[in-house]
Amino acid sequence: MNNIFLKDMAYRRTRVVLTAIGITVLILLILFLGGIMNGMRIQATQYVKSTGADIWISAEGSGGAFIGFSMLIEEHMGQLNAARGLEPHSASPLVFAQARPIIRGKPSKAIVVGFRPGKLGGPTHVLEGRMFEKSEFEDYSPEYVPPLQVVVDEKMGLEIGERIVIGGKELKVVGKVKSLMFVLDTPLLFMEIRTAQDVLLGSYPRVNMMIAKSSERVSPEQVAKQFEYSPLKIEVRTLQQTIDDIIDYYVVSPMRAVTFLRVMLWLAAGILVGMITYVTTLEKTQEIGVLKAIGASNMYVMQLILKQVVLISIIGVLCGLILSFIFAAVAPIFVSIHLLESIIVAVISFFVCCFSGYLAARKAVAVDPMLAFRGEI
Amino acid sequence: MGIVVEGKGLTKRFGDGEAGVLAVDSVDFAIGEGELVMLMGDSGCGKTTLISLLGCILTPNEGELWIDGEQINHPDQDLSVVRREKIGFVFQLFHLLPYLTALENVIVAMDLAGKKSDLAENRAKELLIQVGLEDRLEHRPAQLSGGEKQRVSFARALANNPNIVFADEPTANLDSRQSENLMSLVRELRQEHSTTIAIVTHHEGLRKDADRIVQMKDGRILSE
Ligand SMILES: Nc1ncnc2c1ncn2[C@@H]1O[C@H](COP(=O)(O)OP(=O)(O)O)[C@@H](O)[C@H]1O
Ligand SMILES: [Mg+2]
Repeated sequence: MNNIFLKDMAYRRTRVVLTAIGITVLILLILFLGGIMNGMRIQATQYVKSTGADIWISAEGSGGAFIGFSMLIEEHMGQLNAARGLEPHSASPLVFAQARPIIRGKPSKAIVVGFRPGKLGGPTHVLEGRMFEKSEFEDYSPEYVPPLQVVVDEKMGLEIGERIVIGGKELKVVGKVKSLMFVLDTPLLFMEIRTAQDVLLGSYPRVNMMIAKSSERVSPEQVAKQFEYSPLKIEVRTLQQTIDDIIDYYVVSPMRAVTFLRVMLWLAAGILVGMITYVTTLEKTQEIGVLKAIGASNMYVMQLILKQVVLISIIGVLCGLILSFIFAAVAPIFVSIHLLESIIVAVISFFVCCFSGYLAARKAVAVDPMLAFRGEI
Repeated sequence: MGIVVEGKGLTKRFGDGEAGVLAVDSVDFAIGEGELVMLMGDSGCGKTTLISLLGCILTPNEGELWIDGEQINHPDQDLSVVRREKIGFVFQLFHLLPYLTALENVIVAMDLAGKKSDLAENRAKELLIQVGLEDRLEHRPAQLSGGEKQRVSFARALANNPNIVFADEPTANLDSRQSENLMSLVRELRQEHSTTIAIVTHHEGLRKDADRIVQMKDGRILSE
């Protein structure tokens, strides 16, 4: 009768269901938190990757583009474009800064990306509306009045022609581009570099970073190296270094507590299963004593309990796995759950549950069969 | 007539020193095949301890034990094998598994001895019919009377064709009518199937059926 453990479970179904729900919730949280971190990782790097630039230049001592405070003078552009190893005229200035736009009267969050039209750093095409025209002036010129126009992320829900306010200036939405949110669903607002300088820097002709493309014959590492002893006060990094910097700065460091929490949740799932198994075993001590008195081997008793632990763990972990995908789909933030990674996490969680169930079940095996002769215990 | 169980100089102490109890004190005791032995004595005199020793549930501090002609090597032997193959137990408080039906409670005994489930089910049905519970097969313990539960216990004890059945005060929790019924079952088992039974009981009605009545006092056997 290999289903005796099922009958036992059916008899104690309330506890079984509650335990499975407990595991489900914990696994769901573990996977969901992983999904949030994954989502942040994707968002942190998708804009950087989308630019096509493989050389990122920031001010000396800034620790890299996107990391520390970085202000560069645009005059460096000329020297950069003359440098060997870079694709001719690929270098372009970029303003990339947090802003507090007022949208429909409400302050919200966004990142302003000021780029030079036709150069690296901006979107290549719009989904709706149009891009702003190429600036008439390659270099800064005080007479030039930049267009107060902005191209927005499609997910911001703005209409073409709508106005938003940044730095006290009203900008008109002229186009929408494919969503390229930065970390934690922060939308990007693309505008001409002069416009960005106008609304954020009071027309001060500085940029946060410059980006460029290495020529085909030279690796970006070599290009970066060549600038190591340059008299320009700049830091030059490759795309890969920049991505690593961003992930470490925007995801890994701030999410360290979450990573810790995930490990704690694993522990909690293990403790939950161990505790329930322990309590159930205690409650069944006399039953187990009787089974041993009528000749059940230690193996038999162990199997009886472990089969239940395994089944509850499988159900809990599977439900958690399935629910995590459903939750990720309906979550109000960007969550990216990776199937293979989730399965690995689920399998580990399953073993954590089973192992702690096993630790608790050892208690059952040690029960004295003499208990069968006793009354209340 | 062969000897089924034999103990020599069996001694069991619980605890040490002043607080220690000598529950069974150098008892020599043998039970022959087909015998019905009645074990009597005041509460606390060591009856339960003695049948636990004979039934391989307890390990004696001293003494030797033979079951079915084989000496039990206590520290090195897996006693659960002896219990499931050679011994049947009936407990005062029935101790059926609450989540199983009468039929399944009997099947479990065979399951833990590794018997195939279809064979086990047939035999469990036979046994339950034999103890008069043909219309209680699918009942849970909670739906059975005390007397019926104890009949299921007997069926469970007999499931693996044991050499001997030990029953520890099987009627102590039954009313007089149910006790009488159960004792009729014991007589029947003995007469029709010559089952070897050692029973701890105060039931006077069984005296005339017993082959032997053993009196215990303070861990020793007084008289036979
Ligand atoms: N596990 C135990 N620990 C300590 N003392 C015990 C234990 N089991 C039985 N005893 C003692 O051993 C003696 C005999 O007990 P028992 O065999 O249960 O008697 P009976 O079954 O004749 O009433 C009693 O004094 C009892 O208190
Ligand atoms: Mg007793």
